[in-house]
Amino acid sequence: MLKKLRTVKYKNSIKLFLLICASLISTQALTDNIVDASDSRIEILTESTSITPGDELLIGFKFTLYPGWHTYWENPGDAGEGASIKWNLPNDVSASEILWPGPQRIPVEPLMTFGYEDEVVLLTKIYTSEATIVPLNLNALVSWYTCKEICIPQEAEVSIPIKLGNKTPSVSKAILDQTLKEVPIQFEGTYRVQRLEDSYILQGQLENQDQYDSIYFFPKDYGLTDYTKDQFYEINKDSFSLQIKAAEIGIENRTFEGVIAINKGEAVSFIEINYPLKAKPISQEFNIFTLIFFAFLGGLILNIMPCVFPILSIKILRFVEQSGDSTYKTMQQGLLFSLGVIVSFLAIAALLVSLKSGGESIGWGYQLQSPIVVSLLVYLFVVLGYIFMSNMVLGTSLARLSSISLGKGDSIESFLTGVLAVIVASPCTAPFMGSAIGFALLQPSFYSVLIFLGLGIGFSLPYLVLSAKPSLLSFLPKPGQWMETFKQFMAFPMWASALWLLWVLSSQVNNQEVIQVLLGSLLIIIGLWLVEKNNSKTNWIRWIVRLPFILLLIFSLWLIPTSYSDLDESKQNQLAYSPQLLEDLREENALVFLNFTADWCITCKVNESVALKTSKVRKLLTDKDITYIEADWTRKDPVISSALEEYGRTGLPLYLLFPSKGDPLILPEILTEDILLSYLNEVQ
Amino acid sequence: MKSFLISILFIFTNACIAFVEIDSAAPNFELLDTYGNEISLESFKGKKVVLEWTNHGCPFVAKHYKTKNMQSTQQLAENEDAVWLSIISSAPGTQGYVTKEEANKLTVTREASPSHVLLDPTGKAGKLYSAKTTPHMYVIDEKGILKYQGAIDDAGGRGFMFKDLLKAKNYVKNAINELNSGQKISDPITKPYGCSVKYAG
Repeated sequence: MLKKLRTVKYKNSIKLFLLICASLISTQALTDNIVDASDSRIEILTESTSITPGDELLIGFKFTLYPGWHTYWENPGDAGEGASIKWNLPNDVSASEILWPGPQRIPVEPLMTFGYEDEVVLLTKIYTSEATIVPLNLNALVSWYTCKEICIPQEAEVSIPIKLGNKTPSVSKAILDQTLKEVPIQFEGTYRVQRLEDSYILQGQLENQDQYDSIYFFPKDYGLTDYTKDQFYEINKDSFSLQIKAAEIGIENRTFEGVIAINKGEAVSFIEINYPLKAKPISQEFNIFTLIFFAFLGGLILNIMPCVFPILSIKILRFVEQSGDSTYKTMQQGLLFSLGVIVSFLAIAALLVSLKSGGESIGWGYQLQSPIVVSLLVYLFVVLGYIFMSNMVLGTSLARLSSISLGKGDSIESFLTGVLAVIVASPCTAPFMGSAIGFALLQPSFYSVLIFLGLGIGFSLPYLVLSAKPSLLSFLPKPGQWMETFKQFMAFPMWASALWLLWVLSSQVNNQEVIQVLLGSLLIIIGLWLVEKNNSKTNWIRWIVRLPFILLLIFSLWLIPTSYSDLDESKQNQLAYSPQLLEDLREENALVFLNFTADWCITCKVNESVALKTSKVRKLLTDKDITYIEADWTRKDPVISSALEEYGRTGLPLYLLFPSKGDPLILPEILTEDILLSYLNEVQ
Repeated sequence: MKSFLISILFIFTNACIAFVEIDSAAPNFELLDTYGNEISLESFKGKKVVLEWTNHGCPFVAKHYKTKNMQSTQQLAENEDAVWLSIISSAPGTQGYVTKEEANKLTVTREASPSHVLLDPTGKAGKLYSAKTTPHMYVIDEKGILKYQGAIDDAGGRGFMFKDLLKAKNYVKNAINELNSGQKISDPITKPYGCSVKYAG
């Protein structure tokens, strides 16, 4: 019997409650339990119309929504409210919370809501006890909202009569069972959640899942994620990662709870996750001025790193030639050089900040994760070494490219030397730089820019000072042959840098591709030699000789490997870092030394050779039963990137020493054997 | 390059709806009230200000007015010499959009006592405050610092229509009282609940 149509009109607030008395004839019951409201209707589905005391009974409320209308999930999103069922049951009968099927996104520009369109069944389990008196009536007050642009509250009072008898599957049992499958199940695989600056990264492994196309996270609690922003997912062979913008509202959620929708074509399945969040990411207690000072120091020290020192020293030696007097011209050159340096550092800052906001995990040295960049730097260092060794004059050859038409050779040259100095400095990290840049990238863009500015000023300061007061160099011998010898000698650090970069490359690509880059280097040198030997005064001959140079250059660029390849042999049998491994070890209260390293991180490699891998340290690690784990960041690895972020770093090196209980110690970036041994001796 | 484009995109999408931070300056806006006066938030510096996003057609708002819960909150604000601004961000043609006259009539029939009812048909003030629901409440202190944002009370969540609002914990009243006695606001941010603000699509 269909009872009556009903809508709650909030305008006049007249509650037209309808009591649905289900038919006592069980076969009729289903079609009869329907309430039609203006824009939706509900239908009561029972698994069985009869039970014996002690049985459990599954009940469904099927909402049919008219086209364009929707109702809400448990968390409605930015606005709205999920349905509520208020049971009025005998004492020894209880009802479960609503079992919500996974929702869908329903945007209400510019907001986002989560809910259901067309049709949804909300399930409840009813528990009876041995003492329950059957037959009984299950009474409930159901309220829900159906919304389009506007929302209409609707209510229905339902009374479901249950007879005494064995449970017999009703016609609606199939729908109820089907719905039960749409209710999210607990995540079976492993997963974890990392809080980054303004987003959460959810990474997990799905077991027993076939290929799926996309995933989406629906949060359960307010204040966790920004509902309106797109989520970015990456699906790998057997894992996924999902980046979700955090809500800006400023509530500190303690758990990351919600439902992941896994989409496979038309089909969707849902899994539930609940991950405890750390109280607050560990942040370093540096203020911005300390960090700018650190960046400044780092920039200063960068001048004497092997990749930069040759270029600058040769450039500075030219002041000696210019007789040691400060002139307007040398001063101007110094300023232009500084400008070149600072502009380049600011360009790097801008690039890093924009990559960062694009969701890339980056840090200083990040560029060396690309075999293309590494190969190009190899070529550059080979070329620079050749120029030092030969009679070509650095700078003029560089500046000639751009300054012929301007006729301002020296000015452009100084500026370009500044740019070049930054480029050759890019694979090097000086002490103090790591923490400053690492911190800079976790900060709002404005601070990043300030820190890079500090770095640039520190880097260009020695040159600037010497250009203003060349007499500071008066302790040097008079200009002469020694300068040429010095210049030639400086080719060796350049080639050593190239060698080191090749070694970095060798852990990214296979042997053959490393040989290709070596071949490319040879071809470039042949090309340069051709250009150098060509002293012809005739224009067209000069051009003809340049042609093979250009061809050789193009060919060597073509030889550059463009992607990672499988390594020929696996790396040393170190314990490799994984969050799971660390967690397990921590649970066992083990002492752990965690080394974040990469082949391209020179400081890391130096630390390893002078401290980490010495026999004394090795012995102490074994004696004290400290587990040594390496997190190798030579190749891009989001897991390691996010672990670094957790400790406020975006760059290397980072050494963590975990005592058996409590927070890890962060060791200095520059390790000596003594420092390391004292830390290791003290850890409990 | 891809990442760069994405980041540019981010900047644009971020511009759509702003967000206001507790304990920082409440952004200023200028809107016309229902008597045609230009009202700017800044001009109330020195007084506490309560912002109420409203839409008379929304069942959530309707219940707060019918039970006099909203009016009693307005009364408390008035007694404490706070300015109450009811803001209507419904776009023309959507639910809650009213003319000046209709708005004034609503104030009378509902026995409401806002200091001003402000019309924001373009939604600029609403988006500036990231107002998402009606009601959505904000409390600003005498120095123009945002001290509270969120729901009017803790009656939100499922089953709102069944709840007794007079027994609910009124966050706005608490915030005003705590500001008066110089206390820290105990719940500065809560989840707003209600209908979506009817911004122009």
